[in-house]
Amino acid sequence: MRVEATTSRQPPSPRGVSRLRRLAAVLRAFWAVNLAEELQYRANLLASVVGTGFWLGTAVLTAAVFFRQTPALGGWSFWQVVALLGVFNAVAGVVEAVLRPNVGRIVEHVRRGTMDLILSKPVDAQFQVTFRRIVIWRGVDIVLGLGLTAAALVIGGRWPGIVEVVAFVVALAAAVAIAYAIWLGLMSLAFWFVAVENLSILFDALYESARFPVTAYPGAIRFVLTYLVPMAWITTVPAGALTGRVGPGFALVSALVAAAALALTRLLWRVALRRYTSAGG
Amino acid sequence: MRRYLALMRVGWLVDLQYRAAIVIWLVLGAAQPLVSLAIWWVVAGGGEVGGFGRADFARYFFALMLVDQLTLAWDVWYIDRWIREGEMNFRLARPLDPIHEAIADNLAYKAKSAALTAGVWAVTAVFWPAVRLPFEPAQWLLAGMAVVPAMAIRFLSTYVNGLLAFWTTRATAIAELQYGLSLFLSGRIAPLSLLPPVVTAAAGVLWFPYMLAFPVEVLTGQVTAGPEYLRGLGWQLLWVGIWLGLYRVVWVRGRRHYGAVGG
Repeated sequence: MRVEATTSRQPPSPRGVSRLRRLAAVLRAFWAVNLAEELQYRANLLASVVGTGFWLGTAVLTAAVFFRQTPALGGWSFWQVVALLGVFNAVAGVVEAVLRPNVGRIVEHVRRGTMDLILSKPVDAQFQVTFRRIVIWRGVDIVLGLGLTAAALVIGGRWPGIVEVVAFVVALAAAVAIAYAIWLGLMSLAFWFVAVENLSILFDALYESARFPVTAYPGAIRFVLTYLVPMAWITTVPAGALTGRVGPGFALVSALVAAAALALTRLLWRVALRRYTSAGG
Repeated sequence: MRRYLALMRVGWLVDLQYRAAIVIWLVLGAAQPLVSLAIWWVVAGGGEVGGFGRADFARYFFALMLVDQLTLAWDVWYIDRWIREGEMNFRLARPLDPIHEAIADNLAYKAKSAALTAGVWAVTAVFWPAVRLPFEPAQWLLAGMAVVPAMAIRFLSTYVNGLLAFWTTRATAIAELQYGLSLFLSGRIAPLSLLPPVVTAAAGVLWFPYMLAFPVEVLTGQVTAGPEYLRGLGWQLLWVGIWLGLYRVVWVRGRRHYGAVGG
């Protein structure tokens, strides 16, 4: 109701701008309810901090086990790998806060028929299934992850220059977009394979490989992780841009990869929706 | 016994409906060992790391994937839900202790997932000599004998962990903690001998290596018939006993606690 009220009061404006404003209003409406809900479970914040701290410790110790036997993994020093683990955790935070609670539910929407409800609303369906709710507590993963990256840079003793920081920000944004594209792509498959309720787990399995720089893998796997399942772009490129392991130009390539991935999944999503509506109708 | 077969049949048929789901769970289970293997493979290069060459790592992690599937237990997630959503009630009303249903489900699932893993291993071995095990049926028999107590330890520890949901809403968080520790102490990241000696020593008196690393070492031939094998088997039996005792205590007290709150 509130959404309609705000949009109807808008003065006439160029179509693109009013559309954006409308989406912003929808977002506000989604998240106001969501926030009120989440704030009821404040103890979850502490649990998230403790849990994330434990997993970060585990990840760093895992890297330490490998570095007991070798001075470098794929050319990366220990602290460079730790910086990468921070990025890994931050992107995992986005996955848990936004992707899993939204995109991860598409299978459920299809199976239970609530997808019809979403399609009947006058807002883009992809937008709705993407941003419906956020699990704000998992924001802790993002903060602590980036904190770990910063700490690793300080201890590693090489502070990045302004160009590297900019490249990092671009590459990280691209990384999030690529992760989103993979999720939406996987979940679009749910329209064909409704029985497979745990499709999203495939992302978790693939993402496991992003714990290490892609250069630490044997050649064939490196190829797969760079070109076929683009995990290299999610952690190796942002962390590499920041630590100087990867040239800043890669950030731009990364943005292109992200744009291509988004366009491809948008296409797949459309095809999936068409299949859904024709099968339903 | 007949009841068991019936329960297993139900479990088997339920799983069959979710064939694709099993494959996806297998892929997830294989991800961590395969990543570790790939990294160790490069680290070892043409030489050795702590006595492990490339092929040794390959055999170790393939054996780990198989034993992992054989000993798999996930009951904490179910029990937590049963208790939170009240599904425990009708299970308590049945004349059969719910643990038997859990065991039957567990065995029915493993029969499929482990067979699938063994099959994938066998096919891979045709193309990739590094993962071939030497043909030593006696050693495989020893490994099989070590897998049975390993299954019991992992199942019981997971089940007891699940029963903690009678008292706390964070039973699954405790299970994640156990998994985090098992990454190191069960030999998932690396063979135990590659960890710092203090960690290896600490692991040796806990239950973690006896539910995974020990049977893996027997299967790959690192541990052969002899005092080391018997010592491992002894620790296994000790931990089966301890977890069985814990299960009895927690089950009796938990039910009482649950009933008291509910009534």
